Amino acid sequence: MKKAMVFALVLVCCVSVFAQAQAESGSKTITMWVSGAGAQVDAMKAAVEAFEAQSGYTVEFSAPGETYEELMKTKMAANDLPDVFDTHGWSVDRYGEYLMPVNDLDFFANVSRQIIPTISNDKGEALVLPFDMDLTGIVYNEDVLAEAGVDVDSIKTWADFEAACEKVKAIGKTPITLGASNGFTVGWLYDRIAPSFYITDEANSKAADLKNGIFDEAIWASISAMIDRWVSNGYFNADVVTGDFVGDITAMATNQAAFDFIQNVAIMMAGGINADAHLGMMPIPSNSASDEPTLISGENVALGIWKETKAKKGAIELLNYLAQPEVAATIAAATGNVPALTNVKLDLGAVQKYIDKHAAVEAYNYFDRDYCPSGLWDVICAAGQEVLAQKPNAVQNTAKQVKDSFDALYGN
Amino acid sequence: MKKRIDTINLFYVPALVLFALFVIYPFFKGVYLSFTNWNGYSRSFKMIGLKNYVNLFKDKNVHRAFANTLVYGVGSTVIQNALGVLLAVFLNKKFRGRSLVRTVIYLPVMIAPLIMGYVMYFFFNYNRGAINDVLKLFGAAPVDWLASGNRAVFILTLVNSLQFVGISMVIYLAGLQNIPSMYYEAAEIDGIGVKQRFFYITLPLLMPAITSSVTLNLIGGLKLFDVISALTGGGPGYDTHSLSTLIHKYYFGGERAGYASAIGLVFFVFIMFVSNIVVKALQRRQVEL
Repeated sequence: MKKAMVFALVLVCCVSVFAQAQAESGSKTITMWVSGAGAQVDAMKAAVEAFEAQSGYTVEFSAPGETYEELMKTKMAANDLPDVFDTHGWSVDRYGEYLMPVNDLDFFANVSRQIIPTISNDKGEALVLPFDMDLTGIVYNEDVLAEAGVDVDSIKTWADFEAACEKVKAIGKTPITLGASNGFTVGWLYDRIAPSFYITDEANSKAADLKNGIFDEAIWASISAMIDRWVSNGYFNADVVTGDFVGDITAMATNQAAFDFIQNVAIMMAGGINADAHLGMMPIPSNSASDEPTLISGENVALGIWKETKAKKGAIELLNYLAQPEVAATIAAATGNVPALTNVKLDLGAVQKYIDKHAAVEAYNYFDRDYCPSGLWDVICAAGQEVLAQKPNAVQNTAKQVKDSFDALYGN
Repeated sequence: MKKRIDTINLFYVPALVLFALFVIYPFFKGVYLSFTNWNGYSRSFKMIGLKNYVNLFKDKNVHRAFANTLVYGVGSTVIQNALGVLLAVFLNKKFRGRSLVRTVIYLPVMIAPLIMGYVMYFFFNYNRGAINDVLKLFGAAPVDWLASGNRAVFILTLVNSLQFVGISMVIYLAGLQNIPSMYYEAAEIDGIGVKQRFFYITLPLLMPAITSSVTLNLIGGLKLFDVISALTGGGPGYDTHSLSTLIHKYYFGGERAGYASAIGLVFFVFIMFVSNIVVKALQRRQVEL
């Protein structure tokens, strides 16, 4: 018995010493997690592999896909984060307390002034290396609109937009395609419409109220009422409630639908389905004739360093490497977005002419990120599904639901 | 003798430590969190007393999820057991291909419920779904099967029941094979019909099997999660959520971990209460052989 105990003790000591040795050598190993999928992750992975080959560091790269946010929340709760991770639009509100400021790092001088406020906390500390900035509106199909006799440049207000939808419907095509079974598509719809109701009309702006935790439920009900009217008028695809994101892009690529409330990357993805598809991007209409159409902007792919990382030196080297113009360009190009580093020059192909065309249009950050507490996104998506499904009293009930959740998350 | 017992008792320690670490500690931590406004990841949160418990009784999504959970639990139990008994009685008879039929009925049990949900998506999908393709063959208009919350709840109950009916069938087959043939022989001599034999011999003597099967199915149905996640994601809106999926949604997506913990705790008490009542009620009806 005694011999067995001594053996067990020795074994435990050996394991501990081995583990300690591993931890000490861990400084040459960097853990890195990124969100998203497809071309964006492939580009990041290729860049990281090139860094490994050149630097001698080992990067444990992970892209968990749809479960990224849940896993990251679990890791934050355990205070055990990857050394480097993607903040996907939430560098300040969600991940802020776990990130190391990057103002003093080499690449910071090249970060676009436009995005610095979005990625900085109240103390002026920038928290991430941003690769691209969303600059997007509504994606449309040029051929379908031409067939319906719609001049896209004449769409200034939601009333104009509805008139265009009527014309598209008249030729037997789907005016708006949306796949609400992927809840995020519903969130994108509300994110695009909400600023024109709450923010962009300066005379009636509720921006200050929202920042102070005051949510106007009646305005939200107006947005939902408009969407409900679109459903009643038959502007959406027949399977709007159960359709999916891939179906949306396919409908746009195959000239079955006219409008899609989606990011510019859809234009590139549609090209992969049908090389002859002609998709464009237009500004988001305003709610009143006295207001102007706008665009949505904001942080997209951005990497931060965990402030308690044991691999700080390696993580900084990795970010500096990825921020080099030729490397950062490959990552930004995969998203179809405007580069967020001033020394990165990039031709976005099919998307570029629309970015240039609308360069003078005012852009606002994503509504839920800028004016709502973290966590409301999920409520917006689910509430929007109820509106699209036209449940009884959904317009009023869901407006109350969104307000209650806003208040609860805000701590009111 | 005492020393031997002490030594034996030592062997409980690893199990007790693991149980305390992975069950007792998280349970009490969950109770504590249910009185906070923790968002699930931040290091700062505050105590808010009974607010979460008060809110959950006013929350329509919780009410809906609670009703759905009962439908999933009771509905699955009824369908699985009714079908399970019938299949077991049928498959207890000798005929050619009996083993093959048993295997086919049991096969879906071996598929992960998440995968089953994804497979079923291709049946109920509007555009490329197998059921709508069949409808189109007969000239009927396609139906968006999962767009209505009530219909989707029924579909989810059916999918879950049909996937796990094999378990009930196996339990009842084992139960049937334990019933001594002398009861049936005596009944036959007395001229008792098939229907009466089933209700007065088979069913009472199957009670131990019914207890096991009903309890397993009920708990499985009440905890339904994977197939909902795969097939509807709880939507449209919150219409098809069970309490399990709603807790998950509130905890991670809604960032209301304290509130989700409160719902979880109430749910735990509910399942414990229902399971105990059902087991006790069924045990009272068991017959000694």
